[in-house]
Amino acid sequence: MTIPTAFRHSFLELVLLVLCVLLAFIAPGFFTAANALNVLRNVSMQGIIALGMTAVIIAGEIDLSVGSAVAFAGCWTAYITGLLTGPGFGLPAGLAVPVAIVLAAATGCALGGCAGILRTRFGVPSFISTLALMTGLSGAAELITNGFPLTPFPGWYNVIGGGYLLGVPVPALVFVAVFAAMHLVMNNTTFGRAVYAVGGNAEASRLSGIDVRRIKVTVLALTSTFAAMAGIMQSSEIMSGTATTAKGWELDVIAAVIIGGTSLAGGAGTIRGTMVGVIFLGVIINGMTLLNVNEYWQHIVRGALILGAVLINRMQSPRDGADASRERR
Amino acid sequence: MPVTLELEHIAKMFPGTTALDGVSVRWEGGKIHALIGRNGAGKSTLVNILTGALAPTRGTIRLNGLPIVFRSPADARKAGIAAVHQELSLIPELSVAENIFLGRLPRRNGMIPCRVDWHRTNEQAEALLSRLQVRIDHTARAGSLPVAQQQLVEIAKAMADDPSVLLLDEPTSALAKQETDHVFSLLRVLAQRGVLLMYITHRLQEIARIADTVTALRDGTFVPTIPVAEASPETIVSMMFGQNIRFSRVVDHPASGIPILQVNALGRRGAFQDAAFTLYAGEILGVAGLLGSGRTSLLRAIAGADTPDTGTVVLDGTVLSVFSPEAMKQHGIVLTPENRKEEGLVQSLSVRANMCLASLERTAVHGMTTRLRERSVVAKIIRELDIAVPDPEAAVSSLSGGNQQKVVLGKWLNTRPRVMLFDEPTRGIDLKAKLQIFQLINRLSAQGIASIVVSSELEELMDICHRILVMKAGRITGTLDPTQSTLDELFGRCMQ
Repeated sequence: MTIPTAFRHSFLELVLLVLCVLLAFIAPGFFTAANALNVLRNVSMQGIIALGMTAVIIAGEIDLSVGSAVAFAGCWTAYITGLLTGPGFGLPAGLAVPVAIVLAAATGCALGGCAGILRTRFGVPSFISTLALMTGLSGAAELITNGFPLTPFPGWYNVIGGGYLLGVPVPALVFVAVFAAMHLVMNNTTFGRAVYAVGGNAEASRLSGIDVRRIKVTVLALTSTFAAMAGIMQSSEIMSGTATTAKGWELDVIAAVIIGGTSLAGGAGTIRGTMVGVIFLGVIINGMTLLNVNEYWQHIVRGALILGAVLINRMQSPRDGADASRERR
Repeated sequence: MPVTLELEHIAKMFPGTTALDGVSVRWEGGKIHALIGRNGAGKSTLVNILTGALAPTRGTIRLNGLPIVFRSPADARKAGIAAVHQELSLIPELSVAENIFLGRLPRRNGMIPCRVDWHRTNEQAEALLSRLQVRIDHTARAGSLPVAQQQLVEIAKAMADDPSVLLLDEPTSALAKQETDHVFSLLRVLAQRGVLLMYITHRLQEIARIADTVTALRDGTFVPTIPVAEASPETIVSMMFGQNIRFSRVVDHPASGIPILQVNALGRRGAFQDAAFTLYAGEILGVAGLLGSGRTSLLRAIAGADTPDTGTVVLDGTVLSVFSPEAMKQHGIVLTPENRKEEGLVQSLSVRANMCLASLERTAVHGMTTRLRERSVVAKIIRELDIAVPDPEAAVSSLSGGNQQKVVLGKWLNTRPRVMLFDEPTRGIDLKAKLQIFQLINRLSAQGIASIVVSSELEELMDICHRILVMKAGRITGTLDPTQSTLDELFGRCMQ
């Protein structure tokens, strides 16, 4: 690999590095282990979803429901926990909480699967079905909480979203684990290859004997499950089921995926790129907060970043859009 | 004084090939001039030059005696040369009138800029259609019309500017025989109005019905124009193919007598009916027929790409009941589709990934793929098929047509197929690659792998097949043994 190619392949990483060096000098308290963990912790929940979203977008679909799905999963977990520990069932919290977590994750998985089935069997675009889910789940979260935070959780529940293991925040550990798993799945399994193929050309994939429907349903179900996991961790961090959390996360998540070089047209993108995109956004926000930049400015900078990253990707591959992937499978 | 269109020594060179080699002709208005020739004879190049899409390398075009030079398609339109292409280009959601005036809708003067004058649009469309004696409601949605009527609208659209020359590139290729009558009567109306019509067709039997003169293009040169009265079917075939057609049969061994695949009463509504034949191990079976004869649909049904409505496919005595590409692949029945770019390859993936696409399970261990294992599989096929690819990690889109087709074939060889279905395997690829693909089909046949080959190039079928089925209007109408027949015979059977 020549130096210019290596440079092009790792362009975003280089920009991230330069940014970090810059912030280390100008932002007080940026270059410390505590702050690094802080950044990781802040991005981890959206990051987990972004890893799933990468597969969804590579497969040529989209999921707009993830923000609402986070809020709903938190409220749903809280609601079930409350129900099971309440007078009707009277289960101990040690049993009720795991049951609630499994049920909330399963619900997320099923909802994503439904969007996938609507897409592949009935031709409803995932943009539409997940848009409907986004609105519907937000309403459902409000409905089961009656508009007030539900707080049925025992004290130890806080470990999942707010705890530390060997000094590292638990959500960050989950994020890194999911990253490793998704990286392996997308790069080294027949399933991952099929995701790229289906997004690149669904008809050619079908004629090659790939079950296109199964691939699309699976990635959508996977991402919804990740959103539910993030929702459970979020509810643990704030120790309540709150319907108004995670508003607008879907756009942050999609932005991270796009910054990471994944093509909205499908067929191209990498998990590694998304990881960099997620951290990039986290570092920028963290740096601006440390520099006391007005929050409104932060939004503008983030918008510029999305545009800039996509432009750079485009300019690196003027020949055709397919080359926008920074690594070829 | 009728319109005249003269070509003087028109030549067009592309890097590596000569598409047109100094053709000259003089055509007159008020007549319909048929232009025939095999695929690749240079017909499209000629149309593109006359419509200003390509500039000739040499030569002069004269319209009414005056030399003309086109810098763009707009120039050609201004000069009065319009074209109707093979593919329909109407926008189905818009009305007939909107389609006719698309891009130049009449505007209203007034306060609001660019406001469309719907009244005038409709009035002018109605007037145009009635002038051309076409009975179609100008307010109808274009997509709601039958294909034949859509083709009439296309022609009306081309005539909206009153051009003096109209080039028609196979306007009837998608139409059934009875539907062509409407198109022909419109063409006669235009000829009576003095328009010069150049009519490209593959359906030789149409020539006698519609044309006044016949000109053939053969390997980039014109075979002299003759009046249609002198054009017997034999004359036409010899104009297209030349007198001395020499065949070099690639296939060098007989098929076995062991039946492997049986197709019984297979049918798909609107595409083909009652297809029945037996394929033998190692046999290369050709399917000849015109575009729209159902040949592609037949292959797609056998491969599970489309589900048939009736009939059965039996492999080794087992009835195959699930029609999906996945199920058929498991049984060893695979299809290399007609459009390799859209249906054969995933352009965003590498050569390696494309070659492993159909055999992911076979090359992976416990669902895990490794680049190393895939590379060794791919390297073997690249050698076997002599694919010119500098690096298997290169984008498949960077390969030439012939090499892309070989990648599609390689993808299927990886799956150890038993029956291979080839739909136009040599379309748009160079001679060397063509021969290599034929040799591959021959080698597979020697190993007992049966093939069904669909091709518009009838002489290719004569070269490669043990047996040829003729399809017409969705039915298999006969069988032909290429060693016992001539190309003319096969041509005649497909055309009549």
